[in-house]
Amino acid sequence: MDKKRKIIPYLYLLPSLAAFIVFMFWPLIRTIYLSFFDWNMIKPVKEFVFLDNYIRIFTDPITFKVIGNTFLYIGLLLIVNCAAPYVLSFILSHVIKKGKVFYKSTFFLPSVISLVVGSILYTWILNPISGPVAILAKGIGITIPIWSKSQGLVIVVLSIITSWKVFGYNFIVVLGGVSGVSQEAIEAARLENVPLRKIFFDIVLPMSSATGVYVFIITIVQGLQYVFTPIKVITQGGPNYASSNLIYQSYHEAFTLYRTGGASAFSIITMILFIALLLLEFRFVEKGVHYES
Amino acid sequence: MNPDRKEYHQIGWHVLLCVIVLLLLFPIVFAVSNSLKTLNEAYQTVMSIIPHNPTLDNYLHVFKRLDFLKITLNTFFIALCVTVFKTVTSILAAYAFVSYDWKGKGILYFILISTIFIPFSVTMIPNYLTVSSLGLNDTLLGVILPQFADATGILLIRQSMKTIPKSILEVAGMENSSGLKTLRDVVIPLIKPAVISTGIIFFINSWNEYVWPVLVLKSRENYTLSLALQMYISSEGGTEFTIAMAVSVLTMFVPLTLYLIFQKYIISTFTASGIKG
Amino acid sequence: MGFFMKDIILENVCKAYGGAQVVKNLNLTVSEGERLILLGPSGCGKSTTLRMIAGLEEITSGKLYMGEQLSNHVASGKRNVAMVFQNYALFPHMTVEENITYGLKVNKYPKTEIEQRLSDVLEMLELTALCKRKPKDLSGGQRQRVALARAIVKRSDFLLLDEPLSNLDAQLRQHARKELVKIHDKYRQTFVYVTHDQIEAMTVGDKIALMYEGSLKMVDTPKNVYHKPANVFTAKFIGSPSCNVASVNREENCLLFGAQRLALPECWMEQVKGRDRLYFGIRPEHIRLGNLPADGALIATIKYIEDYGNRMGVYFDVEDHEMIAVCDDNAPCPGQTVYFLPDFEKIHLFDYDTSDSIGYPSNLTRSDLNELVYQYKFA
Repeated sequence: MDKKRKIIPYLYLLPSLAAFIVFMFWPLIRTIYLSFFDWNMIKPVKEFVFLDNYIRIFTDPITFKVIGNTFLYIGLLLIVNCAAPYVLSFILSHVIKKGKVFYKSTFFLPSVISLVVGSILYTWILNPISGPVAILAKGIGITIPIWSKSQGLVIVVLSIITSWKVFGYNFIVVLGGVSGVSQEAIEAARLENVPLRKIFFDIVLPMSSATGVYVFIITIVQGLQYVFTPIKVITQGGPNYASSNLIYQSYHEAFTLYRTGGASAFSIITMILFIALLLLEFRFVEKGVHYES
Repeated sequence: MNPDRKEYHQIGWHVLLCVIVLLLLFPIVFAVSNSLKTLNEAYQTVMSIIPHNPTLDNYLHVFKRLDFLKITLNTFFIALCVTVFKTVTSILAAYAFVSYDWKGKGILYFILISTIFIPFSVTMIPNYLTVSSLGLNDTLLGVILPQFADATGILLIRQSMKTIPKSILEVAGMENSSGLKTLRDVVIPLIKPAVISTGIIFFINSWNEYVWPVLVLKSRENYTLSLALQMYISSEGGTEFTIAMAVSVLTMFVPLTLYLIFQKYIISTFTASGIKG
Repeated sequence: MGFFMKDIILENVCKAYGGAQVVKNLNLTVSEGERLILLGPSGCGKSTTLRMIAGLEEITSGKLYMGEQLSNHVASGKRNVAMVFQNYALFPHMTVEENITYGLKVNKYPKTEIEQRLSDVLEMLELTALCKRKPKDLSGGQRQRVALARAIVKRSDFLLLDEPLSNLDAQLRQHARKELVKIHDKYRQTFVYVTHDQIEAMTVGDKIALMYEGSLKMVDTPKNVYHKPANVFTAKFIGSPSCNVASVNREENCLLFGAQRLALPECWMEQVKGRDRLYFGIRPEHIRLGNLPADGALIATIKYIEDYGNRMGVYFDVEDHEMIAVCDDNAPCPGQTVYFLPDFEKIHLFDYDTSDSIGYPSNLTRSDLNELVYQYKFA
């Protein structure tokens, strides 16, 4: 009887676990494996080249462009989708008195819309010649450059599109953390005549830091993947790799250049970056929460 | 500080927040408005929101040109299957974590969370090869198969299961011989809002999915809405702007409707996920 | 009324949430240096009142004066008020020291001043050894002292306390009560203290303001609140076990308990003139029970006995009225028939319609009946 009871939880876990093993962990191993080979997905024989793929990647100037782009994306994403939601959720939960439900509701709305739709919409809205933003700008005497052809700007636009989708979601999650800060602690600070700005930095921020770190990490992990869609749909990595990032480059190598080995190597490099973030998440967020008694 | 100054401060913040609301909602308004304009009108009256001569031509065009019904059904079928699979597996797995103490719980929890950190670029090639070798290339099933389970779903459901007082589970355990019965009769009814919102989120995300379908699906008749949509994008512009807007609106319709109906559930579920530490 | 008095004055203060009136027309003065207790059951509006004084709740209508200044719209931080919260509200990411000095630092007090005040307060509350610890490493009692330290170190004119001892266990509470009075004696701030615990109220307060459903029921010294309750509610709320209150009819000089008659002393005749129905109140410790019949005593049946360790609670019925008495020794057994007499110097009478006290005779003298009472006990 006891033996049977012991197996039960594992049985409940089995469907999910099986799916993860087959479609996540085994592919991870397979990708590591493939990164040591030269292949194009069709050839019957894979050629073992050991670290050649990695060497090629690290000596290619395009790689550094791609890595630079990745960091630029991350930076922009974090400002709009980590810092801004934090300040705004503080205002929503502890400063303004009415309309909270309305704002929560409307902020989150774009998050349920497809990124493909977002890409189309922004392509037109930000159209440098005939889009509404261009026309408004012309009214003030500014001409919008053709961002799809300019180095840094293209990343800015792609960040805008991704941010549009991610902002509301991040906002709601951060709001959860900020609302969780004890009302009494903030009242205690108000009684000490602490100005609003200091209440935010000295009290609310530290007390919701677990949420902050979580959102920080999720923004990077999901943001980098989300931005794949606008890239694929609008710029295809161009102009001249100016809008490609680590994730897109991997796709590019795999399904455009048919260099499976190179693609795998790129994704493993990305994976290492993500593992670092995973460890950070466990250290600062989970903190032994999963060790249930 | 007199009451008037306080009011001014409040108004200031509200102005800021409303500006953000406008920025976020503008693209949707833009899409709806332009989907109802003729191409000429759209180019000439870019700045006006309300069309002077509203027309449904764009929508008619969509229904004629694309096999719109089929594409919507494809999208719906995939989303439905994925939602069912993910919801069921998530509930079972979350239940395992919450109701039982077993060896390796901590490790498996770690493994669970780590799946969120595996970028799709790592899994895309092998999964593509797997699906191809099963002959499921260019089929709806091929899209559905790798999406059997979802770590985020497990986390969300687990989080809401944890709000059930342990004593209730213990009482139920004493009455029932089967954990499944407790799950069905006691646990699920108590966490209905979380199950609903998780399910809706799965559905919406699957409906909007682009990355995996674009690898698997090749022929037009199997397309989902996202794939059909990409036919209308070109960064130089083109003659299909207003039609693109119509397709966009049609694609947005289902997620927006679901959101408007279930927003309370959805928002509260994600708000709760933000309470950490 | 003199100048620069640090009184707190509430004038017709009301607080409403939507349609519900939580505080109704409150008129209250807390004199400078006084320890005023806001006492009452949950939901009576005492915490809300405290928070209005602190500036954490908006005052719907009425005026609040603090130290002669109209303070309705003054920001909390500018009211010269310190507060101890029920759940202490310590900052979990700061050490004890940092928690205590945070307010002073933000308001740019000179470093030497901060250090001086910090060491004073650490010593007074015996926290010196704990000053580098974080709240999560402290016990409930220690956290409470830190919250108190943070409030005192400000040396504000007014100190507000919101059920500060309710999360402590009984022993600690005793000790903490003493500490609070000591602190007040040293700094002489104006205390406003909210509690639902009447023992705290009686031992800590100079004055008790008893509230119920948003209104004041009585404001007076603990002694008067106990011995001369202004209304039935006050009589029943104060005292444990609670005061017995029975509604009775009067005929001439007797109170009718069903078929039995209890004769009132002559001195009460003036007060009860014109009233045919009254509420009769007597505290359990002022009742005499005996097993020998006596003149004027009523027949009662024992229902139930509770042993408190040092005393017995004896539940008995006099006709239809359930009462409780406390006895220290030989208690009767359930079912037994006994004789009941109240100590006539300690009875309370209330008007039947308004529930207000009808006052006490100025010449409360021992009557013959009373003599009997003092000799009454169980043989």
